[in-house]
Amino acid sequence: MTKSGGIIIKYTALTVILLIITAVATWTLAPGKERIVKVPVLKGEPVAKLAESALALSKRLGIEFDIPKTPEGDINATQLLLNLIPLIDKASEIIPPKIKAAFIYVGPIGDYGWTHGHDTGRRIVDEKFPWLETVYAESVSEADCYRYIERFIKQGCNLIFTTSFGFMDPTLKAAKEYPNIIFFHCSGYKRWKNMGTYFAEFYQLYYLNGLMAGALTKTGKVGYVGAHPIPEVVRHINAFALGVKEVNPDAKVYVRWIFAWYDPVKAKEAAEALIAEGVDVIAFTEDSPTIVGVCQDYFKKGRPVYTFSHYSPMYKYGPDVVVSGQLVHWEKIYEDIVIKVYLGVYNKTNLENVDYWWMLREGAVELGAEYGMPINPKFEPILKEKYVEDPILGKISVYDLVMIRLKQMSEEVPTFDPFTGPIYDQEGKLRAKPGERLGHYALWTMDWFVDNIVGTIPKPGG
Amino acid sequence: MEHWLVPPLKVAIEAGTPLLLASLGELYTERSGVLNLGIEGMMLMGALSGFIVALITGNPWLGLLSAMIVGGLMGALHAFVCISLHANQVISGLALSMLGVGLSGFIGKRFVGIPLKATFGVSPIPLLNKIPILGSILFEHNVIVYISYILAIILWLILHRTKMGIMIKAVGENPAAADAAGVDVYKVRYVCTIFGGVMAGAAGAYLSLAHIPMWVENMTAGRGWIAVAIVVFATWDPLRALLGSYLFGGVEALQYWLQPWGIDPSLLGTLPYIATILVLVIIGSSKRLRRAMSAPSALCKPYIREEKVV
Repeated sequence: MTKSGGIIIKYTALTVILLIITAVATWTLAPGKERIVKVPVLKGEPVAKLAESALALSKRLGIEFDIPKTPEGDINATQLLLNLIPLIDKASEIIPPKIKAAFIYVGPIGDYGWTHGHDTGRRIVDEKFPWLETVYAESVSEADCYRYIERFIKQGCNLIFTTSFGFMDPTLKAAKEYPNIIFFHCSGYKRWKNMGTYFAEFYQLYYLNGLMAGALTKTGKVGYVGAHPIPEVVRHINAFALGVKEVNPDAKVYVRWIFAWYDPVKAKEAAEALIAEGVDVIAFTEDSPTIVGVCQDYFKKGRPVYTFSHYSPMYKYGPDVVVSGQLVHWEKIYEDIVIKVYLGVYNKTNLENVDYWWMLREGAVELGAEYGMPINPKFEPILKEKYVEDPILGKISVYDLVMIRLKQMSEEVPTFDPFTGPIYDQEGKLRAKPGERLGHYALWTMDWFVDNIVGTIPKPGG
Repeated sequence: MEHWLVPPLKVAIEAGTPLLLASLGELYTERSGVLNLGIEGMMLMGALSGFIVALITGNPWLGLLSAMIVGGLMGALHAFVCISLHANQVISGLALSMLGVGLSGFIGKRFVGIPLKATFGVSPIPLLNKIPILGSILFEHNVIVYISYILAIILWLILHRTKMGIMIKAVGENPAAADAAGVDVYKVRYVCTIFGGVMAGAAGAYLSLAHIPMWVENMTAGRGWIAVAIVVFATWDPLRALLGSYLFGGVEALQYWLQPWGIDPSLLGTLPYIATILVLVIIGSSKRLRRAMSAPSALCKPYIREEKVV
């Protein structure tokens, strides 16, 4: 066969394939074929029943209603349907409007961390309330946020949640542009009359994890893999370090930054570096169970390194090494918000001071290796055998201390806070006077490390 | 107690292995004159399919096999578009990368958060791992790492010591001359491009079955692109690719060792690319080096066979 023959065959084959694709696409995408439908004559029992229901409804709504009859004495079905219109209009006025809520996520819902947590919350409230419909967009970049908001508003959404710090300004812009829509922004500080903010805060749990870490470390070196050096993460590391210090005053907390919220490989490498340095307990802020897997591997190698669940239950990834952890229940916050919007408690004019900062007391966060498992039973004996001297509680086991602190921080008015002075920073500067509790502002802008931390907070640009 | 050099070098090899596997495949593809920028996407699809199959069958080897098949299929697609249809290799490669990122994210959604039991665990080689220092650096890894050592050597031998290697190089340098000498240019390019895909798939499977045994979206995080850079850095030589992979893998992993000394990790992250540019500059500055080490002359150029007048 000549060469040109081959080319002809090849291109013929290609053309045939393209034709088939076109045909299939046309067939599936084309609007439905016109069909001749026989309209059944409306009469008999169904019509009588409809008339009856309409009459009953009209009585409840207090509207006059007559069942239309034909000259022959049958029910006039067509007229009956037309007469229903005012009834339906009146009924829909009385029934409260549905809420259509949109969620805009920065990451993929499968990240097993931040976005996964928000989406779990969304699904729970979506199933719980029949009057609530939810839609979402995942992996939305900051630059695209505003366009997604506009698109969702066009689709009829009347409540918009944006769940990334970087969405703050686009959300505010949209709140000003669309004064009839209600907005809630997660993790920011800018509000408007129709835009509130919310956050589920973990520092109490990091402190509790720190107590356990301090009891479990044999080398006196505890590690922390941090995502980004921002006040939120710094606050969590400090809370963790304060817990470690309370149980084990000589232990040090070694910090490594990975400069990513979600990067399993970097998390693994940072953890390995810490372990090589002699660390035997690691806490972390990274949205995947990678570090738990690393610790479980070291356990199998006969060199146990313990860790904690972060955001989602990670017990199943390391049943031998996950001691406890911090779990989130965004649904508690979402539930509260959607109910209050539904009942009209929150409306387009009164959100300027609505700021959720929910913790243990509100049930927005949970201490646990797994939902319902505050401490992995495997570690209970060790924690019960380790005793500390508390100025108020006296000689107490670490296990009991954790449980008491958990209870104290869950009370209506928490009777304990980890950030109670005296607290010194790395330079020896007194950051909280004895007995003083750091306030919301100090926690929200924290840029210093507690004195038992080894590591620095990189400054932006430096 | 182990020597202080052991943990960092061990980690460098672990982190370098996926780079090595992917860059060895890409190296052969480019040697035959085809540029494949789809490595990132092929690695992701390999990682996902390997994970799924290992999860279902409970056998990591089947996972690895399926990853190689999926990678190979994507390589074949690239080959068909670039070689048979003479399409632009850059565009096809970029398209495959994006396809792989998107498709693996979409299909993989249901598999996020599932722990994988069937993995390639660490299996030290007896006796060899007793060699002081070197033993634990080189011979306390999972099986894929050992395979990659052998592959690098074999691929070097094939490229530089066999007729097959000469054929591949000839096709990449001057396809018309190779064709005239009776080499089937299309066939060689097809085989090399599919091989590149297979290796990228295997590199992906290493990530999801051995390195971090789980599926996470976009878990390659740019490794496919570093692999492409390594091929240039290694000046299209398998053994230098081995060196480059461990170097770049090490740079990435060791930033956490260096962090306490205040060395910025994002700066370290740029090192592979700076090193690659430096290599290009050095090669470009010398005529002798240029002849010996520059890119295959026919790289990125589709070969269209002239009609023979009979």
